[in-house]
Amino acid sequence: MSRFANRREAFWRGIRDALGAPVLVLFAGMVGFGAMSRSHGFDVWMTGLTSLLMFALPGQVVMLEMFISGASLLAIGFAVTLTSTRFVTMVVTLFPQFHQRDRNPLQYLWVHMLAMTAWAVSMREFPSIDPKHRMNYFIGLALPCWLISPMGTVLGYFVAGWVPTAVTLGLVFINPLFFLLTFTDVKPWANRLAIGLGCLMGPAFYVLDADSSLLLTGLVAGTLAYWIDRRWLRPRSIEVSS
Amino acid sequence: MNADLQGWGVWLALSAACIGTYICRAAGVLLSDHIHQDSEVFRWLSAVTYAMVAALTVRMILMPLGLLSTVPMLLRVVICALSVAVMASSPQRRMVPALLTGTLLMLAYGVLRTSP
Repeated sequence: MSRFANRREAFWRGIRDALGAPVLVLFAGMVGFGAMSRSHGFDVWMTGLTSLLMFALPGQVVMLEMFISGASLLAIGFAVTLTSTRFVTMVVTLFPQFHQRDRNPLQYLWVHMLAMTAWAVSMREFPSIDPKHRMNYFIGLALPCWLISPMGTVLGYFVAGWVPTAVTLGLVFINPLFFLLTFTDVKPWANRLAIGLGCLMGPAFYVLDADSSLLLTGLVAGTLAYWIDRRWLRPRSIEVSS
Repeated sequence: MNADLQGWGVWLALSAACIGTYICRAAGVLLSDHIHQDSEVFRWLSAVTYAMVAALTVRMILMPLGLLSTVPMLLRVVICALSVAVMASSPQRRMVPALLTGTLLMLAYGVLRTSP
């Protein structure tokens, strides 16, 4: 009993799932980024290309902020790469769920379309999808998210200034809100704990050192959550029955 | 400051940032070849990733950059709580209504703030 008849159906389902909250979220976030970039005096090409080629909103914001504050190129590259380290583990937790046949060099192309939005939705949907359909579902989901981003950015760049601040405020807020809401859908206890601990430790590490705080929070809170889950929460099939 | 913004510096910074970000994505693909989805390493890395994503989200809500930082912290938290309540009010997913709740409340605050 497979959820999709074939790969094409999985792809179109991915597209349909994208054209709701995920695309809305990326669009809003990127409009906000475009507006922010305009207000700091960057040119439109550079702003749009950032969304197309980098496609990582937190990193993009960090890059702008650091450039304005006059940081060195080396420091910018380093800080942005640090905020992007989450991609390493996001890919490592998502891509092994693809069918063996799809684990080919094309993955290096698909991986560019991965963002937190598509990751969160895929992690939720993959368990109910046949492995051989997962790759197509993912592409259907991630492609519109990626393509909408430069469009939203350029639109935001041009409308900045004449759109009321209230509207921009609403748009900027959609992004963090979406991630917060996806957390309510996370099922494994280790991951729920990790989210809780991450929320608590994140601000503390941020005060200590902003650039490395995401990585540090992830390692400390994630490891602690994993350990607690393994030690106390997971049902122990062998030890309990003996 | 603005004289530099249009120059080559900005393009170098952009290239460095893009390359750095893509390297992280590619490293994930490279590493993922050696990790099985029912291994302990996979579970540990899932927890690490969720913790990172959670930290990022909290940072965007509690310590935002730019426009959002002009909204009082208490208000941001209350609006988030209301949206989560809408989301949790039904066992089916209510993502779009919950998103709209938060966004419209934030918009309403913006309108109220600007009107004297």
